[in-house]
Amino acid sequence: MGRYFVKRVLSTIPLLLVISILIFAFIHLIPGDPVRKMLPKEATQEEYEQLKEELGFNDPLPVQYINYMKGIFHGDFGESYKNGLPISEIFPARLKATLTLTLWAILWSVVLGTLIGIVSAVKRGKFLDYAGMVIATSGISVPSFWLGLMLIQIFSVKLGWLPTGQLDSWKGYILPAITMGCSIMGTLARYSRSSMLETMQEDYVRTARAKGQRESLVVLRHAFRNSLVQVVTVVGLQIGGLLAGSVLVETVFSIPGLGRLMVDSINFRDYKVIQALLMFFAVEYIVINLIVDLLYGVLNPKIRYD
Amino acid sequence: MSENTHSVTPNPNEFMDDPVLQNRSRTREFFKKFFQRKTAVVAGCFILFLIIIAIIGPSIAPYDPSAYDYSAIRSGPSAQHIMGTDEFGRDVFSRLLAGARLSLGSALAAVVVGAALGTILGILAGYYGGILEALVMRSSDVLFAMPDILLCIAIVAIIGPGLINVIIAVTVFTIPSFARIMRSATLSVKGSLYVEVARSLGCPDRRILIKHIFPGTVQSMIVNFTMRIGSAILAASSLSFLGFGADVSAPEWGAMLSSGRNYIGVADHLILFPGLIIFLTVLAFNLFGDGLRDTLDPKVK
Amino acid sequence: MMKKRIPALMLAAAIAFSAAGCSGGNQPSESSTAPSGEPSTSSATAPDNDLVVAFNTDIQSMDPHNTTDTLSITVSRTMYESLVTFDENQEVVPLLAESYTAEDDNLTYTFKLRQGVKFHDGTDFNADAVIANYERCLADTTLRQNSRVAKWESCTKVDDYTVAIKLKEPNSSFINQFTQFQIVSPKALEEGLDLNKNAAGTGQYTFKEHTEGDHVTVVPFADYWGTKATVDSLTFRAVPEDGSRVAMLQTGEADYIYPMPTVQAAQVDGTDNITVGAVASNIMRYVTLNTNLPELSDKRVRQAMNYAIDKQAYAAVVFSGYCEEVLSCYPSTVSYYSEQTPYTYDLEKAKSLMEEAGYGDGFTLTLWGDNISAEQTGMQFVQQQLAQIGIDVEVLPMEPSTLSDMIYVDEDEAEINMWYVNWSASSFDADGSMRSILHSDMVPPKSANTAYFRNTEFDSLLDQAIKTSDPEQLTDLYAQAQAIVWDEAPWLFLGNDELVYGAKSYVSGITLNPDGSVDVTNAALAQ
Repeated sequence: MGRYFVKRVLSTIPLLLVISILIFAFIHLIPGDPVRKMLPKEATQEEYEQLKEELGFNDPLPVQYINYMKGIFHGDFGESYKNGLPISEIFPARLKATLTLTLWAILWSVVLGTLIGIVSAVKRGKFLDYAGMVIATSGISVPSFWLGLMLIQIFSVKLGWLPTGQLDSWKGYILPAITMGCSIMGTLARYSRSSMLETMQEDYVRTARAKGQRESLVVLRHAFRNSLVQVVTVVGLQIGGLLAGSVLVETVFSIPGLGRLMVDSINFRDYKVIQALLMFFAVEYIVINLIVDLLYGVLNPKIRYD
Repeated sequence: MSENTHSVTPNPNEFMDDPVLQNRSRTREFFKKFFQRKTAVVAGCFILFLIIIAIIGPSIAPYDPSAYDYSAIRSGPSAQHIMGTDEFGRDVFSRLLAGARLSLGSALAAVVVGAALGTILGILAGYYGGILEALVMRSSDVLFAMPDILLCIAIVAIIGPGLINVIIAVTVFTIPSFARIMRSATLSVKGSLYVEVARSLGCPDRRILIKHIFPGTVQSMIVNFTMRIGSAILAASSLSFLGFGADVSAPEWGAMLSSGRNYIGVADHLILFPGLIIFLTVLAFNLFGDGLRDTLDPKVK
Repeated sequence: MMKKRIPALMLAAAIAFSAAGCSGGNQPSESSTAPSGEPSTSSATAPDNDLVVAFNTDIQSMDPHNTTDTLSITVSRTMYESLVTFDENQEVVPLLAESYTAEDDNLTYTFKLRQGVKFHDGTDFNADAVIANYERCLADTTLRQNSRVAKWESCTKVDDYTVAIKLKEPNSSFINQFTQFQIVSPKALEEGLDLNKNAAGTGQYTFKEHTEGDHVTVVPFADYWGTKATVDSLTFRAVPEDGSRVAMLQTGEADYIYPMPTVQAAQVDGTDNITVGAVASNIMRYVTLNTNLPELSDKRVRQAMNYAIDKQAYAAVVFSGYCEEVLSCYPSTVSYYSEQTPYTYDLEKAKSLMEEAGYGDGFTLTLWGDNISAEQTGMQFVQQQLAQIGIDVEVLPMEPSTLSDMIYVDEDEAEINMWYVNWSASSFDADGSMRSILHSDMVPPKSANTAYFRNTEFDSLLDQAIKTSDPEQLTDLYAQAQAIVWDEAPWLFLGNDELVYGAKSYVSGITLNPDGSVDVTNAALAQ
């Protein structure tokens, strides 16, 4: 497993390098630049050209890329063109907001999602199965921004029970976390149901049943434990998707997280922030995949790495 | 949008005999099994209904979907306008009917193109392996590492707004999921006996791919196809919400929802109805896809 | 570029925020300057003494020498002060100075400084402090104040509480611009304190915290030399989503919001203790018509298009009534406004003009604009109106940066047909309201004359006026210039929208200026 780990980590390096080049090219393909937004309205065309030159935007792209990467290797991600703050300073607070929200979202959705999955699998073909699956599928089908706006309208404005999502207290997390968690809840319920159904047909579960063990025990001890592998995979992949997918939820609830930073930065053409964010998402995706792969081995000794 | 990674691996035994021969009995069996999934049947009917609307929608709309009436802006649901009117006094119900063609059409177009490209890439990668496979799989890794919605935003930011460009953006993020699924499906079919026999008989690659491999993988494709339509509709409406959407004046559902959100609290029907129809449509496609998968996937009996 | 309203304090026609508000609000309550003029509604009391103000954008910079957006200026004015400022009558009055004098040569200004003023870090305010600020702005070319102080010949200390500023050449706008020169503690400058995380001004409030992208909180400064702040804390929040911002006002999470989305204004006014108010602005809404295009080069076509637009409907549909018809190429809040004969909504006339020009069957055009939803509504409205006279408009909302990239191109590469846009002259003056967008020297890429409007008579009138100081002559010159633009109709003249805010009725003393900056220094919450 150690060798496998090293191999996997090493293989990500060229992938990351390619991704960084692609992202860089991608960003600079977007028409427009941050220069105009950095200047006051009265600025002349000369001032515009001058600032553009000063910022190095007139250099050939490969040169700009190399300069950028030099900074990265020295641990310097550069500064935002928008407010002059170093990216290393902007990032932690934004990440914290998104991460906290994501964790709350995952917390409730994993519990509910798995529960629905188990119940649906056990009651396969019965009403509860259909009800559970309709709820779960609704979770992945609802446009999250629409749900968010509806929740604000009902619970904040009409009923006045909850704030609209300022993260000062735990109450502020409720609506955004509900909105965000719906799709994981749905995905998870669907996955855990099908993996439960699969494991329940395995010989050892049948054996346990045949031996006359209580059904609930069979379900929990054998079937569920073995379908955990699936659950872990899904949760892992979902965390990756969530951090980035937070764009919509953060916009609706005015949460200063990574997603909103992304949209704001694209609008400002804040190149370095966009680059840093996209790289972060890519690294995070790769790391989570790696962790998921390794956890497989821990949870299911049948899987071997060679 | 979160279902990127699930793959349907057909049981290789299913393909021991050439699938074409068994077609008829399989079709019957398929319908028998499918009709047991009641939610999927309901969803299927709803989709059928939507398709009919998409075809005849504009002609049965009570009003011209673009006819404005500034004296009746943002009026709530009433006998004349059962879903109320929008910010220009246009009839929301008529716009939803007319928009079915646009919204379903664009989602369908994006997924069809994405599926076609993804399928070709996936099958070729799975069949030939080697450099091609590495290239296709690593590229889809790269695309997967980019969050869907951000990828769409970036593409639209580069190529500009408009319905066609939104379709292109959604297409791009549809490709890798098909490429992956089709590759793994191809790998399992490739190892099956009838393909090996065909090969050993000196059948040309093209013939094997078209006659044997593709039919063997088509089930996986259909299931993923249905699911991705839902994702495509969601992605398109999310783009509209963030201001990167299709033509704003067209009665496209996402655009309606996105402009309706400005009137929340004032004219809730402007966000309620388009949101609801998007939600129900995506839900229907997903439930229908579930039904298909359960029926087609031999693993779940 | 053009859409960003300018951080000008100039001529800030201070309209005192009155709790009575003006429901449905067309005309702002122009008169009272006394924030204490609280009518009967003040029976409502605030749940706490922490004032929260929500804006639609996020603060760009907390460095007072580096601010360009109105929000940053709004925030920095709570913590930093300048030597002079505007009073409610748009007159320049001393603030950190006790008095000032200008020499006859219009080059030298002498400021007598207020004594006993302390910075937040305890340092004394004196002539050395002013000079330290000058030196900083002069040395650092990345600061936005740099281009201003670069026009000074010198800034010298006469005695501990007197400074003299000498200009390189006469500049009548110097003293107006000088109101934006805020003074930072020299100790903080010397230590290189990060101004995004600390405050070292002399203002009423001192810095408490700044969460990038979310909020800035300031708290009263105990040793403030003037009237001390009455609230316990003041928070500026960024809430970009319109619906959420209104919801926050309704739930009481915010006490004051700007902008108040006009669609919600009438609905929420008077409910949940909310009052909505409006202030006249200097924003002109228009659509530029590229006169280089064969169809649009014909004046009759351009006039026909203006006749085809129902201005009342525009105000109602796009701004829920918070918009006035404009009878010139800039709004009446700007000086030397001269009213023209309206293009009264008249489809028959429009159609016959189109016939006359040989375009009875119409033609096709594209309309560009920002992808913000309010702009998209306006663009669709124009599309619907022009369809009535056979002009088929394709609406293309674009992201602002993409848009400026497509607009500021050489003339032979220009693809622009129509641009749905707005302009507000930072200085509220006639020249600033026309030159950059109508003078023939100002066609892209140099500036924003995207109508490619070229009229030598108009140009010479503007050029003559800029050298004139006699008000009567100016009135005449600018009236002629406006008459030309109106008749030539290089634009669709749409309207002048108002700035709308929403506030809880227990809030008092907040002033929304016509440039969109908000003065919160006298804010109070009824307890």
